Amino acid sequence: MQVVNLEQLKREGALWQGRRNRQADDRVLASGWKVLDELLGGGWPRAALSELLSDAHLGLSVLLPLLARLSERERWLAWVAPPYVPYAPALRAHGIRIERVLLLRDLSSTQRLWAAEQALKSGACGVVLVWPEQVQTAQLRRLQLAAEQGDCPAVLFRSSRAANQGSPAALRLRLRPSPLGIEAEVLKRRGAWSSARCIVPMHGAAGCGSGAREDGVF
Amino acid sequence: MLWLALYFPQLPLEVFARSRQQAGALAVVETDAGRERISRCNSAAQAYGIGPGLALPTALALHTALAVQPRDRTREQRALQALASWAYQFSARISFEPSSLLLEVGASRRLFGGLAALLTIMQREIVQLGYTVQHALAPTATAAGLLARYRPGCRIENADALRVTVAPLPVAALTRDPDARALIRHIGLESIDDALNLPRPEMARRCGPQLSALFDRLLGMAPDPRPEWQPPRYFDQSIELFGEISRTTALVFPARRLMVALCGFLRGLGGGAQRLQWRLIHRDHPPTPFDQGLLDPSRDPDHMLEMFRERIARLQLPEPVIAISLRVDDWQAFEERSLAIFESTQSDDQSLLERLGNRLSEQRVRGLRCLADHRPERAWRFCRPGEPDDSLPFIVQRPIQPPWLLPQPRPLPAPQGLPQYGGDLNLEHPPERIETGWWDGFDISRDYFIAHSPAGERFWVFHDRRGGGWYLHGLFM
Repeated sequence: MQVVNLEQLKREGALWQGRRNRQADDRVLASGWKVLDELLGGGWPRAALSELLSDAHLGLSVLLPLLARLSERERWLAWVAPPYVPYAPALRAHGIRIERVLLLRDLSSTQRLWAAEQALKSGACGVVLVWPEQVQTAQLRRLQLAAEQGDCPAVLFRSSRAANQGSPAALRLRLRPSPLGIEAEVLKRRGAWSSARCIVPMHGAAGCGSGAREDGVF
Repeated sequence: MLWLALYFPQLPLEVFARSRQQAGALAVVETDAGRERISRCNSAAQAYGIGPGLALPTALALHTALAVQPRDRTREQRALQALASWAYQFSARISFEPSSLLLEVGASRRLFGGLAALLTIMQREIVQLGYTVQHALAPTATAAGLLARYRPGCRIENADALRVTVAPLPVAALTRDPDARALIRHIGLESIDDALNLPRPEMARRCGPQLSALFDRLLGMAPDPRPEWQPPRYFDQSIELFGEISRTTALVFPARRLMVALCGFLRGLGGGAQRLQWRLIHRDHPPTPFDQGLLDPSRDPDHMLEMFRERIARLQLPEPVIAISLRVDDWQAFEERSLAIFESTQSDDQSLLERLGNRLSEQRVRGLRCLADHRPERAWRFCRPGEPDDSLPFIVQRPIQPPWLLPQPRPLPAPQGLPQYGGDLNLEHPPERIETGWWDGFDISRDYFIAHSPAGERFWVFHDRRGGGWYLHGLFM
């Protein structure tokens, strides 16, 4: 009879626990949202690719606490082809040091992927946010490798239509607007069950200013 | 004093040949007594038995595909000027002789770790610039110039050795002045030794004051004043390609020659360049200009070349290129320290920005900063990445601001007087009123609301109190 090591199963995320204890884990970056950290097993994957799938480029608001914390280091927060102008006063109100913001604009589809890969590999970025146009699975794999190589989290903002496409990303979250905030549903998480979900509270004070820090993560 | 003469024996040919790594048979012709004769030719032409002095029709009979250029002294003069710009890094005292540069190196030899080291550096870079060179060192400029032609490689440091070395050389080699040469033939002097063995009054009588003075300058017995070359205020050089280049990768070779020349010029001025202005010249189409920006002032050709390769990879050529030119208008004080940084430990930060800027153009690689203004359009601007955000004390803290802004407010339909965007928008009250700007002509009066769509999205919309319309201006997403 095979002996099952309970602790190992827990570590691998193969064992469902009603409420997972958040551990200090250097493979993740705390998201700044208590509910989200619980959903993600501690936070965003570090040195790996995450995908945020939505119908309307949702997700920046969810990332703001992470960006604020990463901007304290002398690393770039790289934005590859953002769909609108990041509004500098708002970013600063969220505690982001905007001199660390690096915007790459007006890029073709291939330029976006090239720039993202360069930024990830360089070791000079704290995080790389990418809004690709179309992206093949092989290209995703390159980004995933670059993220590992540069020890840098990559966040891809993709259409929810991409949910059916296979992906080497460590994390795939589907985001939907909800009356209470943004609903996040795990489509894939390395070493964990999918289809768990939570609502990241955005409205009222939590969605703006430095309110995101009020839930005590930082 | 110690003078270094650099004589470029193949200059008439190399001004045409240096743009290509490999060239077909090429010859430069001069007209001598009404007949065109080969003056210089490259090794490809020599392989067909063509050599200097051969009549052009004979040369063409030997090889019909021989490329022929008439000798162009203006171009040679320009090339010497360019070489002087490069050589200024080794000496601040430079003067010219035909096909030669004369540099006073007594003062600078120590800076470069001795003469041997200095000559090694120069030899290597001259090859990179696309020229062949013969050199000589002597205590006088006139002697150095003479010896570089007739005794290349020699190094004379005292007057006795100088006299012995120049003695067997023909007197005619001393001057190009036809009158003086006629005089030399007339008085029957062969070698310099013949002239120097004459008693002084006899020499003065037979050779005339001009030639006597030349001997004195040769041996350092009289001062040898020469106009000193002044470096130009900016760098502007070009290389003609003599043939058409349609692949951008073929530009790398001539571009590197220009970069070596530029970096020599910059070292002479103690500066580094930050912006290289390139122009590709086409036969009919207007030139293709492009800038190559460097994050830190540089004078390292290898570093510049690496950036150049990335920069030209995204270049579209409207037509083949017939010439390439490089201009640098201004340079920055350069600290030697940063040379070491470029060589090995350039920060990841800088090299990432440089690589992105080169490949994508600098307009696409931007930073952000806040401005002290209530109006959302004027509350921020793009800047160079990493520009410090020093506007802190003046920033308006709004209660709620969206992380995304539309570049232009987008008009929203408002059929019942209330805005719609994916359905009726539900507005949060009270709005924030922004009313300002009369002093600079951008006068606004707006009520900003947070608006909820039926799907649960949140937007930043405003009501224009002047024009009366509704607009979408930001997104919370």
